Amino acid sequence: MSKKNTAPRLGNASNSIGSLLASLTCILVGLVIGFIALLVLGWITMAQDGNAVSLGQMLQKTWNSGFKAILSGGFYSTANAMGMGVRTEILQAAPLIMTGLSVAFAFKTGLFNIGAAGQYTVGAYFALYAAIVLKLPWWACLIASALGGAIWGAIPGVFKAFLNVNEVITSIMFNWIGLYAVNTLIYQGGTGAMYNTNTTKTYTIKQASPESLLPTFNIQVGGKDYFGAIFLPTIGIFVAIVAAVLIWVVLNKTTFGYELKACGHNKNAAKYAGINDKKNIVLSMTIAGALAGLGAGLFYLSGSKEWEPLVSTALPAAGFNGISVALLASSNPIGCIFSALFIAHITVGGGFMDASIFPSEVSDIISGVVIYLCAFSLLFKSGILKMFQRQGKARKAAPSAEENGKEREA
Amino acid sequence: MWLLLKYTLLYASVLALVALGGMFSERSGVINIALEGIMVIGGLMGVVIINILNAAGVPVFLGVLLTILISGLAGTVYSSLLAFSSVNLKADQTIGGTALNLLATALAVVIAKRINGTDSPKISYNANTNKVLNNLNFSFQIGPLTLNWFIVVAVIALVAAWFILYRTRFGMRLMACGEHPQAADSVGINVYKMRWCGVLISGFLGGIGGVAYIVPAVGDWNFEMGVAGMGFLALAVMIFGQWKPLGIAAAALFFAVFRAMANIFDSIAFLNALNWPKEIYNMMPFIASMVVLAFTSKKSRAPKAEGVPYDKGSR
Amino acid sequence: MADYVIEMLNITKEFPGIKANDNVTLQLKRGEIHALLGENGAGKSTLMSVLFGLYQPEAGTIKKDGQVVEIRNPNDATALHIGMVHQHFKLVECFTVLDNIILGAEPCKGMVVDRASARKRVVELSERYGLKVDPDAKIEDISVGMQQRVEILKMLYRENEILIFDEPTAVLTPQEIDELMDIMRGFKAEGKSILFITHKLAEIKAVADRCSVLRKGKYMGTVEVANTSVEEMSRLMVGRDVQLVSTKEEAKPGDVVLKVENLTVPSKVHKNNAVKSASMEVHAGEIVCLAGIEGNGQTEFVYALTGLEKPSEGKVTMCGQDITKMPIRGRSKLGMSHIPEDRHKHGLVLDYSLENNMVLQRYWDKEFQTCGFIKSRAVRAYSDRLIEQYDVRSGQGSATIARSMSGGNQQKAIVAREIDKDPQLLIAVQPTRGLDVGAIEYIHKQIIAQRDAGKAVLLVSLELDEVMNLSDRILVMYEGEIVGEFDPKTTDVQTLGLYMAGAKRMDKEG
Repeated sequence: MSKKNTAPRLGNASNSIGSLLASLTCILVGLVIGFIALLVLGWITMAQDGNAVSLGQMLQKTWNSGFKAILSGGFYSTANAMGMGVRTEILQAAPLIMTGLSVAFAFKTGLFNIGAAGQYTVGAYFALYAAIVLKLPWWACLIASALGGAIWGAIPGVFKAFLNVNEVITSIMFNWIGLYAVNTLIYQGGTGAMYNTNTTKTYTIKQASPESLLPTFNIQVGGKDYFGAIFLPTIGIFVAIVAAVLIWVVLNKTTFGYELKACGHNKNAAKYAGINDKKNIVLSMTIAGALAGLGAGLFYLSGSKEWEPLVSTALPAAGFNGISVALLASSNPIGCIFSALFIAHITVGGGFMDASIFPSEVSDIISGVVIYLCAFSLLFKSGILKMFQRQGKARKAAPSAEENGKEREA
Repeated sequence: MWLLLKYTLLYASVLALVALGGMFSERSGVINIALEGIMVIGGLMGVVIINILNAAGVPVFLGVLLTILISGLAGTVYSSLLAFSSVNLKADQTIGGTALNLLATALAVVIAKRINGTDSPKISYNANTNKVLNNLNFSFQIGPLTLNWFIVVAVIALVAAWFILYRTRFGMRLMACGEHPQAADSVGINVYKMRWCGVLISGFLGGIGGVAYIVPAVGDWNFEMGVAGMGFLALAVMIFGQWKPLGIAAAALFFAVFRAMANIFDSIAFLNALNWPKEIYNMMPFIASMVVLAFTSKKSRAPKAEGVPYDKGSR
Repeated sequence: MADYVIEMLNITKEFPGIKANDNVTLQLKRGEIHALLGENGAGKSTLMSVLFGLYQPEAGTIKKDGQVVEIRNPNDATALHIGMVHQHFKLVECFTVLDNIILGAEPCKGMVVDRASARKRVVELSERYGLKVDPDAKIEDISVGMQQRVEILKMLYRENEILIFDEPTAVLTPQEIDELMDIMRGFKAEGKSILFITHKLAEIKAVADRCSVLRKGKYMGTVEVANTSVEEMSRLMVGRDVQLVSTKEEAKPGDVVLKVENLTVPSKVHKNNAVKSASMEVHAGEIVCLAGIEGNGQTEFVYALTGLEKPSEGKVTMCGQDITKMPIRGRSKLGMSHIPEDRHKHGLVLDYSLENNMVLQRYWDKEFQTCGFIKSRAVRAYSDRLIEQYDVRSGQGSATIARSMSGGNQQKAIVAREIDKDPQLLIAVQPTRGLDVGAIEYIHKQIIAQRDAGKAVLLVSLELDEVMNLSDRILVMYEGEIVGEFDPKTTDVQTLGLYMAGAKRMDKEG
């Protein structure tokens, strides 16, 4: 019976299709809610200005100067900014893939790494220090950023493994500790080595250490350089994609991945099988931290933004968006690439909206709604699978469920 | 020293209110990591309502009461999202809560910007136009000590929480749902209903906590920073207080001292002499909470069924 | 015919993929003790949960005193004076006995729970029925027997007239079982009606008036216990003749494989030690059985042997090597196999496929990996062989997710994995818990085969029938100490019971 059955592959396939459809449902509902939010915001603005508008006009306005931008993302651009939006999107996607991988990797080990934001922050500090102060080449700076993240990720791991403190609480606390620490270290009362008192930011890497900048690339569209000549996308996106593939291989093809997942699914069974669960918790959090830290390296070593210690009072969004990325991808490393591109897409698109009516944070709302929905995406998934089954049954009229029932009895 | 006492009591009342909220939720079996977001929403509604009440010229006592009630209600409404996902849809409570935290900050920024009509996420609520109500009116004087009404609210909430939890039928049933929902169900207690109650109460107290944190502090608030981790500190307070009202009161005072130092370190001579940057003091409550958790959590006894969705139909 | 106090007519209850009750009818007379007999998984508990309002049936009616009633939740059941002692007690561990009894039916003065009056009533009831409890003790601190008395008091406090006992004897010593039967007879004399769920025929013979039988969710009929032989009831239950005793040859004990000296293990639950200076030996080619009531330290004893927990004192030697501090993997490599007590907690990674579970103890072996990369073909081939050889049934073969398999087949998979390791020592803890007769027979045969192949077997069981049936030597554990050693051929269940309850003990050297 067991050998004749070809169902396993079918079963697994329909399972991942189910996950994909569930994620798409989350995205769709998130977008609809985002649209409604825009509609309401626009309506309020118009009402404040004393303009009476019909619903039709309002819908049109919401679409044209708001929602269309979100949907088009980096491709929504005016003529003079050709390639700019796409460049920004690629730039933002790289760290998001990394933080998404960070969260997804920890998920596979049964840990919720809500600390990607803190690890990202510390990773950024290490990267900037290596670049601006030590003036190391870019690859060394990347290693430094991963190292910083790894240290910050290892701490919750140690707390969890040896002191039995929930990793969620520890990660949250160390997010804040990390943020304050980095701000202090960079600023140092205005005397910090990488702090530029004129700009109240860190020195730009371009001035301080050009060889620390990530290499760039360009593509040809219609015989012209698509990204222009000045602001080019970096190789960060490729580093992130390679990392995603590596993580996939580690999780699915190696004994290390086998152990990690066993710990994640059932800690007790893992221990019973002689797997050192404490070691694995610490290792998993360390790797997750390194991934998030590397993400920060990919972003800050692109030279497109400096750290502002005096106004960075909120944790970096890339850390928390990593949770959306991982959830949307059902913790599949390869899936993280696509979900990160999506989140970057709507975030960049949000920036293209008419800011006088639509605050760009609407894309954060969409992202928040998406996580909320992902929390019960299993529900969507089982609903979708049921639908499949019903259809399958109608098509084949094969009483497979009944057979299963009998087998359970046996 | 009076200043230290003032700020300690102020932050202790915020932490105690929010931690008590967390206690009600977790005692019913739902992990409420969304307290941070609930505080943001409560605080936002609070400052909005203060501005409206100011414009309307409402008497002080009524104004204070209304502000507290409405921010509490805002928190309650927001927390219903958590209750719905974790009780009815049996979603992962931590993820749901995290989503609500992110959503709250995004919502608050969008709303703040819309209210301002500019690109600034700051709302001020102590403008010169205030005739009747300004933030001073949330406070009163006992001798040299300035106290505010939220301290009174926190004390009332503490006593009420103790009474409800240990003396009433509701409290007994609530705790049963957090410890052993199957047992509660088998004696006819509606677990879903009790968990909804637990979460909604936490929303109410969390909402008040939000406005209590924001209003007495400064004249305007930048909603981009949410409530700067105060909701998470309250979670630590709850754990350190072992999910018990009296423990929470003590833990809240302990953490509040550290938090208060960040506000007033420059007016205390020996702290000032250390010449540490402000950020160190900002870090302190978080570091303190980690140290405390590291030493206590091996013995800590969370409600047994917390975090586990209850499914009536499962066997 | 208002003779029937409860009638459940043509009840059908389905769970996803399984019909737990299929057109079942059960009629309970006033003032009788009515047994409900069936194997594990036959649908007894489901039927009772329907009566108690925990599940809604898809079809069928329930009548109380001849009137059709609808029982939508436990409150409805309580209003109809139906009460239930669940197989897994439904007690809040950090509450006091008193609070547990009144929970859901709290007397109140205004807003406040009136504990004083409740306490008075509970003490009164406890004295009247001889159900000794301490109202102020916390559940986590009292014995299983007392917890059961609390459950019974819960029913009495609610003035229930129809009492359901779901497998109440599983956790008791033979002596406690006798006491429980006396209490049940007392209830009967008072005119209360009792439904008594069990799969133990002797108990039915001892106490029940009539007996209804379920098999695989179907109703097989109701018999008068006095006119029906044990064999007939057993045939009704299983559907064929059952060989109640497995035959085995005389043991030929060889060298000492496992030697335990003065092992002491601290408890995770209370302040005392769970295991107190226990010593024992297991030889090659014999089955040594550790008997005792649940929670007397057997679990911790095994944890210490297998490395899941650290002992505070004592020494464990296996095949001449000191393994007291050896990590779990090391013990496994030395030839220790462990069929764990809780197959869901320790035995399986439920969300892993069957093949991944089959190599859970061996994935690191050269056979299954090179340089850290798993050889998935080798894993699949190995798993396919075990499935074939040990007759593990699953929907999709090696790729089946373990969670979707039946309990019996999950257990068979664990047994296959542990036995195929070709161990020197097999530690099997309650290997047949919750399984049906077919699976039990199969696993018993496998264990005896291991012994006959010269392996040392340590069996931990709560089922005295299993203990008497399989073992070559019996050790009884009480409150963490080994209080007696017996030869199954020269002892009986009653004697074992006295030791299990702590009423008697041998000297350590004996």
